[in-house]
Amino acid sequence: MTNTLKIDSVLRPEVLVIGAGGAGLRCAAAICENRPGTSVVAVTKVHSPQKSHTSTAQGGMAAVDPNDPMDKIVYHMFDTWKGSDCSADQNIIKKVCESAWEQIVWLERHGMHFSRTEQGRIAKRPFGGHMLNFGQVKAFRACYEADRTGKGIMDTVWGETLKYGITFLNQSIAVELLFDNDRCIGAVVFLEQSGKFVVILAKATIMATGGKTRMYQVSTNCKQNTGDGLALVLQAGLPVMDVEAVQFHPTGIVGPGILASEALRGEGAVLRNAEGEPFMERYAPTARDLAPRDLISRCIMKEIREGRGCIHRDHKLPHVWLDLRHIPEHVHKTRIQEVCGFFRKFVGVDPQHELCPVTPTAHYQMGGVPTNEFGEVQRNAQQIVQGLYACGEFAAASLHGHNRLGTNSLLELITMGKVVGDKIAEYIKDADLPPESPPEGTGCEIFSRFSRYFEARGKESYAIIRDELRQTMMEKVGVFRTGTGLSETIDKLTELKSRAGQMQLHSRSLVMNQELVQFWELDHLLEVSMVIAQCALARKESRGGHYREDYPERDPEFHHHTLAFMREYGNVNLDKRPIDMSIYEAKGEHYEKFGIIERKY
Amino acid sequence: MSKEYDITLKISRYDPDTDQSWIQDYELRVGGILRFVDLFRKINDEQDATLAWSSSCEHAQCGTCGMRINGKPLLSCELLVEMAVEMFRTNVFKVEPLTIAPVIRDLVVDLERAYARVHAAKPYLISPASPNPQGDEFRIQPRVLDRYVEATRCINCFCCATACVTQKNYLGPNAMLVNIVRLMDPRETAKKERLDILYGEQGSPRCRTAQACSFVCPKEIDIAHFIALAKEGAIG
Ligand SMILES: Cc1cc2nc3c(=O)[nH]c(=O)nc-3n(C[C@H](O)[C@H](O)[C@H](O)COP(=O)(O)OP(=O)(O)OC[C@H]3O[C@@H](n4cnc5c(N)ncnc54)[C@H](O)[C@@H]3O)c2cc1C
Ligand code: SF4
Repeated sequence: MTNTLKIDSVLRPEVLVIGAGGAGLRCAAAICENRPGTSVVAVTKVHSPQKSHTSTAQGGMAAVDPNDPMDKIVYHMFDTWKGSDCSADQNIIKKVCESAWEQIVWLERHGMHFSRTEQGRIAKRPFGGHMLNFGQVKAFRACYEADRTGKGIMDTVWGETLKYGITFLNQSIAVELLFDNDRCIGAVVFLEQSGKFVVILAKATIMATGGKTRMYQVSTNCKQNTGDGLALVLQAGLPVMDVEAVQFHPTGIVGPGILASEALRGEGAVLRNAEGEPFMERYAPTARDLAPRDLISRCIMKEIREGRGCIHRDHKLPHVWLDLRHIPEHVHKTRIQEVCGFFRKFVGVDPQHELCPVTPTAHYQMGGVPTNEFGEVQRNAQQIVQGLYACGEFAAASLHGHNRLGTNSLLELITMGKVVGDKIAEYIKDADLPPESPPEGTGCEIFSRFSRYFEARGKESYAIIRDELRQTMMEKVGVFRTGTGLSETIDKLTELKSRAGQMQLHSRSLVMNQELVQFWELDHLLEVSMVIAQCALARKESRGGHYREDYPERDPEFHHHTLAFMREYGNVNLDKRPIDMSIYEAKGEHYEKFGIIERKY
Repeated sequence: MSKEYDITLKISRYDPDTDQSWIQDYELRVGGILRFVDLFRKINDEQDATLAWSSSCEHAQCGTCGMRINGKPLLSCELLVEMAVEMFRTNVFKVEPLTIAPVIRDLVVDLERAYARVHAAKPYLISPASPNPQGDEFRIQPRVLDRYVEATRCINCFCCATACVTQKNYLGPNAMLVNIVRLMDPRETAKKERLDILYGEQGSPRCRTAQACSFVCPKEIDIAHFIALAKEGAIG
């Protein structure tokens, strides 16, 4: 062993934020607003919080404007419930939809550059699955900043937390969670730039590490979305929830899978097959191109399977077309400028005059770490882990159930981020300080992993294992799944994991050693993929983004969330959490819309 | 089918463990539609796992993968091989890190040091105007927003700061924009403080109007235009 792995120093802020994206920093801002002067340390894998993946979100953020004479919060709640295929939690739906507008106004007052109407008000556009009158006509509900909505949010919450003087540790990776008995007291963080390990001991720890879909060959997610957060939670013996619910966005740009926002269809773009037919009319006569994502992704795959797709001349991959040619030039130039630029730059197509090649791409995790309505992480359906919180895409409270509606994720970041921040501000008032020194065994987990990487000898290639993983997940745990395909995937993942033990590092340095970090990330991808595959195999029904060809219907027997634990690779234990149906049970006005309803668009 | 190209990348390397710098050549045969980030990945996969470089979103939205290719600062995720061959009229590319901050390893620079200038320009409303009496959002007319909306598109990739002829004691073009946007934003009331930043020691007096910033900006923001407006006092 050439490197001695040791803890370099200890920091003791009141609050540790793991993941400085939109959710983590909205939460941090709420803590500082409640209790100015709170010491907060926020860590992020990327070079600056501003580079977090939230910055790339394009289309918008849903909120019912109280001044809107047509729209009502109950419609938004209904759409979210229906979109989730009846597996979101209604207490969360209510909380998020009711506080949506207030949080939009918060962002606006703190400087976000929303697009405006002629009257100077925040402009709104339609988005998939968002409708008036319980599913009748499309609603103008998505508040947006051109096609840079995520950037607007990220810049705003980053600016606010900067103003409050919180400490950022950039290019710093949380590598191990720390506990004192059953209470979370912080984490071990690896500083990539210096190769040092620091221990951060805090009264409260928030995890907001975002998405995880880099285990798919075609994905909209940034390079850093490797499921670290989920893997850390699993390693700590805690459960993850509904991870089989992966969202495939229907319109990824063929090749790299870069997202072409639903905002394009919100502005009038139409999907066409090889014959030029606007095929969504056939599948979803009312919502058509603005039907929810799971449904459209399946329709596209069906068109391709039945021979009505095209093959891209450069990438040699199947796709359908997105037609934006009829959209007025000024809309191209002002409201969808960035996305149109992607087509020009990455596939050499001019959307104003040519058809754009698109295909489903892995996009979003509806599941995540289970939390209650205050973002407190759960140990099981009844108990929470003291001191540990989660929000954003990483958390499953769950607002999205098995399918998320577009624009509901950014909304979740800012609404739940605020809720969790308020809760933490309350909690740290009386919470005990963490112990003086790091608990016995601190760093053991990560040091033994890193030592393994440093010591491993063998001829296996990181790139080959990574690519085989991505191909397998895309083919067998993608838009369509079968029992046989999932079983084969589980075997394959077992094989890949053992081969990954025989990859050899080419440099022994700890400083900015990207290969070392990639080995660690690959382990996470393999671990999280294993849990996804096993949960998908166990859910013998189809619901939202989880579609089993051998069980194509929703089944009442599976009307619950799935909790999954994995202490040892491949050995997954499942448990259940009931779905909250409190709106339905309260029997108030329109309660019948919140029962187990049919899902037609 | 896009063409295959035989190309050479001459990459600046730096090893912090030994404090050594050198130029390393990598020969590749690649499809024209690959992006430069794909080339680096290919090098890592097939030739040299130790080459360090940065990226995140890989579609020109985060500004992490800025570097100099044949001297030009740009985002390596949006440079396709066929474009590069056409633009530089060569198959040999010199690949170097940005110059605005110290190098950590190879093409990875310490962006935190670069960001210190952005922080100095205060990327937030210092003192937001009091809320709308109706309790909802401020009204901003589209024609008011249109005057500065282009400047809000900056992603802090620091390509402009790298190209800038003033390298010392200057906030740099992107940090200037941070300040100018808020000078033009009707919601910012701390105009005095903003003007102090604008005309201060590290502000507009340092700009020599070379316009290199506008020329290289991957977002095609006419930064020089905004700085010129600010110098003339034509904003706010
Ligand atoms: C291209 C694209 C477009 C989208 N458009 C929309 C839209 O229009 N509307 C909408 O509602 N939703 C949209 N989404 C979804 C939405 O943007 C994301 O769900 C959301 O931004 C996630 O925010 P977050 O704060 O949870 O995570 P992120 O913004 O991804 O932040 C995660 C943070 O955690 C850090 N991190 C991760 N692992 C570690 C670790 N081990 N240690 C330390 N730090 C770590 C990361 O570096 C980052 O700072 C889009 C998503 C994509 C990819
Ligand atoms: S102004 Fe343009 S070049 Fe400069 S940092 Fe911003 S996006 Fe990059």
